[in-house]
Amino acid sequence: MPHKTFLAFILPSLLAMLLFVALPIGSVVYQSLFIEHEQVMTEVETCGPFGCTTERKVDAAAMQELRDAQPAGRFNGLGTYFNSGHLAFDRIGQIWTRSETWGGFFNQVMNLPLYKALIFTLAYTFIVTPCVIVLGFFIALGVNAIPGLIKGPVIFFSLLPMIVTPLIGSLVLYWMIDSRGIIGAGLQALFNNPSLSLKASPTLTWITLFVYGIWHNAPFAFVVFYAGLQGVPQDTMESAMVDGASRWERIRFVTIPYLLPLATFVALMQLMDNFRVFEPIVGFSAEANATSLSYLIYSDLRGADTPLFASAAATSVLTTLGVIVLLTPVLIRTWRDFNRKA
Amino acid sequence: MARPTNAQPLPLMVLSLGFIALWLIAAAFPFVWTAWGSFKVEPDFFSRSDWTNAITGVQTIRQTGSAFTGAGYEGAWLEQEFWKSVINTAIVTLCVTVISLTFGTLGGYALARSGYRYTFWILIAALIFRAMPHVTLVSGYLLPFFELGIWGYLPTTIIVLVAINQPFTLWMLHSFFLSIPKDLDESAMVDGCTRFQAFRLAVIPVMWPGVVTTGLFSFLLAYNDFTVTSMLLTQENQTMVPKIASFLGSTQAEGKVMYAVAAVVSAIAPLFVLVLFFQRQIVSGLTAGAVKG
Amino acid sequence: MARLNLKNVNKRWGNYVAVKDFDLDIADQEFLVLLGPSGCGKSTTMRMIAGLEDVTEGEIWLGDRMVNDLEPKDRDISMVFQSYGLYPNLTVYENIRFPLRVRKVPKDKHDEMVMTAIRMVELEQFMHRRPAELSGGQRQRVALGRAIVRKPTVFLMDEPLSNLDAKLRVSTRAQIKNLQSKLKTTTVYVTHDQIEAMTLADRVVVMNKGEIQQVGTPTQIYDHPANTFVASFIGSPAMNLIPGTLRGGTFTGDGITVTGLTAPDGDMTLGFRAEDAEITESGGQIAAPVYAVELLGEASMISWRLGDALVSVKTAKDYRAETGQMVEASVPAAICHLFDTQTGKALPR
Repeated sequence: MPHKTFLAFILPSLLAMLLFVALPIGSVVYQSLFIEHEQVMTEVETCGPFGCTTERKVDAAAMQELRDAQPAGRFNGLGTYFNSGHLAFDRIGQIWTRSETWGGFFNQVMNLPLYKALIFTLAYTFIVTPCVIVLGFFIALGVNAIPGLIKGPVIFFSLLPMIVTPLIGSLVLYWMIDSRGIIGAGLQALFNNPSLSLKASPTLTWITLFVYGIWHNAPFAFVVFYAGLQGVPQDTMESAMVDGASRWERIRFVTIPYLLPLATFVALMQLMDNFRVFEPIVGFSAEANATSLSYLIYSDLRGADTPLFASAAATSVLTTLGVIVLLTPVLIRTWRDFNRKA
Repeated sequence: MARPTNAQPLPLMVLSLGFIALWLIAAAFPFVWTAWGSFKVEPDFFSRSDWTNAITGVQTIRQTGSAFTGAGYEGAWLEQEFWKSVINTAIVTLCVTVISLTFGTLGGYALARSGYRYTFWILIAALIFRAMPHVTLVSGYLLPFFELGIWGYLPTTIIVLVAINQPFTLWMLHSFFLSIPKDLDESAMVDGCTRFQAFRLAVIPVMWPGVVTTGLFSFLLAYNDFTVTSMLLTQENQTMVPKIASFLGSTQAEGKVMYAVAAVVSAIAPLFVLVLFFQRQIVSGLTAGAVKG
Repeated sequence: MARLNLKNVNKRWGNYVAVKDFDLDIADQEFLVLLGPSGCGKSTTMRMIAGLEDVTEGEIWLGDRMVNDLEPKDRDISMVFQSYGLYPNLTVYENIRFPLRVRKVPKDKHDEMVMTAIRMVELEQFMHRRPAELSGGQRQRVALGRAIVRKPTVFLMDEPLSNLDAKLRVSTRAQIKNLQSKLKTTTVYVTHDQIEAMTLADRVVVMNKGEIQQVGTPTQIYDHPANTFVASFIGSPAMNLIPGTLRGGTFTGDGITVTGLTAPDGDMTLGFRAEDAEITESGGQIAAPVYAVELLGEASMISWRLGDALVSVKTAKDYRAETGQMVEASVPAAICHLFDTQTGKALPR
């Protein structure tokens, strides 16, 4: 296809991506270098019957003027990156000198918002992803073995947790684990502990979110593996039978190697999706015990009276770097594959 | 064709059936439970004393005289004007799906048919874009959109969702187009078509399954989005999902939680129907990327 | 006039050379076959003629037009593809009518033209079916019908028979030959099957690694292969090739000595065809234990292992020998071809 035709075909799509995906990344980098204007104060004298007092007030008109002139705020260099809301190297240094044990150091670092969010995000990504793959694989094996007639309905119900809006799915579960909901009450009865609440302790909140993540994502892995199972080469399977392989050996030496590329695909998709975990934290109202990088950005933009653009932008840039680190192995592999083909 | 060697021994079969049954309960029960509960009053839905109340609706009978009540739905749809969000969602999802598919088919076709090296780079860029957390992009839009005065409107949100959706759409349609033999459009061109005519007359007629599948996923993305819609839309332009989220803050008071429950069930219902009718396409769509990639 | 000239045509992708200095005149009404193994550049050459690939260097002339920069649709050619490229959503009739529709041929002529084409490819009973309801051979004929319906100046056929089973291939081959002789349209035909090439072609172009190896009539190419590549590619079985040395008119290789050859001394490869040599009781140029005996039906094939080379000779169908038994074959100088081992080129006989 000549370059000109190619460009004509891809232009709308490319333009949309450049304007609303690539450009915002640039915008985020730019915004992260600025910080909100300092408040302009004026002295206002109010005189009453008991004499005059001078008050310091924010000069709204002057602030507006400043904002209009420099909407992004004043230049701050990399300051935002290093403040206590983000990388906080100063604080880490202090904590390092003060804390005696690794545990103490770790606990204190966990109180810094960015690290707290980062650790939760990583934990979520790297716990949920393998669990999803394993659970999805076993569901696929199980569904593959059931009679054809009920396969359709089983697949139908299996798809639901994935198709339903993440926020809505997490709300549905949230109401059920409420101490008055069926699961919450059931757990209290099970452990004979009427004060047990999944929402109260950080550990239990984390576990709840992980379980939600696995529940939400397992159908995806299941569907991919299930479709893969339909394509397992029958010849190889039969020759393994003739060679005397047991059921498990057949799975181990024929099915799993065949599904391995699919597992890589699922892992890649899951890493990308889980790294941006966000909606369940809103749905489970879990922000007190667990925040993710995405949530941090969201709360900067939504939480305060005026959006903290600089802070959100700095976190966004750091998150983007995280995504790139996460994708590097994949990119390197794709690059090698591509070169081998060319 | 059931061969004797494929038959499972009984214990294994029981184990595997039990496991699937367990999974089905985990997958479906929450929705059934919530849908059922949405027709009760709050003291039944959150029943402190006895969980069977949620099924029988003891409190619901006491308060309304019947075991089922539509009060939650009435409150959500009428009092809280959930119907407006439904209309907004309909507009947004329809536009996003149509525009995404238009852009995506053109771009995906070009990527599948051009042999030059830059197609690889475009696909890789799309992969990276696909991995970007949406909220980081939103934090890039917010300030410029305020400045340009285009924040809060549905068209802005639509084009943003289209753009965010493009990487995925491109990848998916690209792999669908790759599965269509090149011979088809080449013979159309030799027969006298321009490239665009060949695309329209020879390729698109056989692409419908791929377009429908990709369209489903574009629909789901737009329908399920919370990040973009919650941050880029004003209160009155809100779509369903951010509207439900806003119920949570304002409805902690007694009785209002049921509004949120009713709204949630209302939002799940269309998805339910969607899976019912398009199960096969969803399954094939999820695997399309895997088989090729 | 539908003469087709390729002037020093080259195709490169980056460093990879797909076609190198392809230079050829194709006469009006000629049936030209491009023959070679897969990846030899034959399809690329055809696709450049069709306008589906850009020409990196050189010129393609169709009649008196230089067509390098023309779109495929403006070149007045038609093409039959290996996987047919039928429009699955259209019936046979509509498939064949498609070129007329997009070329804005007046509507009132369509039916007559389409029906003529359908009759020529004998698809009258199937004209309202869709491609999915047809067999492979029928689909191939739809593609042929679509190619001939608008009477183009040049037909291009890209391995049109390779997706058919062996029996169908023979009958469709005959049909193509028949169609071409009726329509008298210049045809370029790409194949990797040397039998197709021999049976169909007025002239054959043997290609390898992007370069032309030999151009000639089927007989010329069979009887006088220009180099070892052509010798080993044409004929079934291919020509026996044995490396060795020539000293004073005597060729010596592993297990074979042939005298009475006229060529300068040096490293040579000796070639002869299996059907030219004979089994003999004594005094043969080859005397070695038999490697295999294969029955072909109309003949038997005896083979020996001489060094690394597998050498076969065709003999009477009732000839029998055991594996490992000593058998001799006579390979007189008259049936032998000599190739320079270094360059692979044939030496004049």
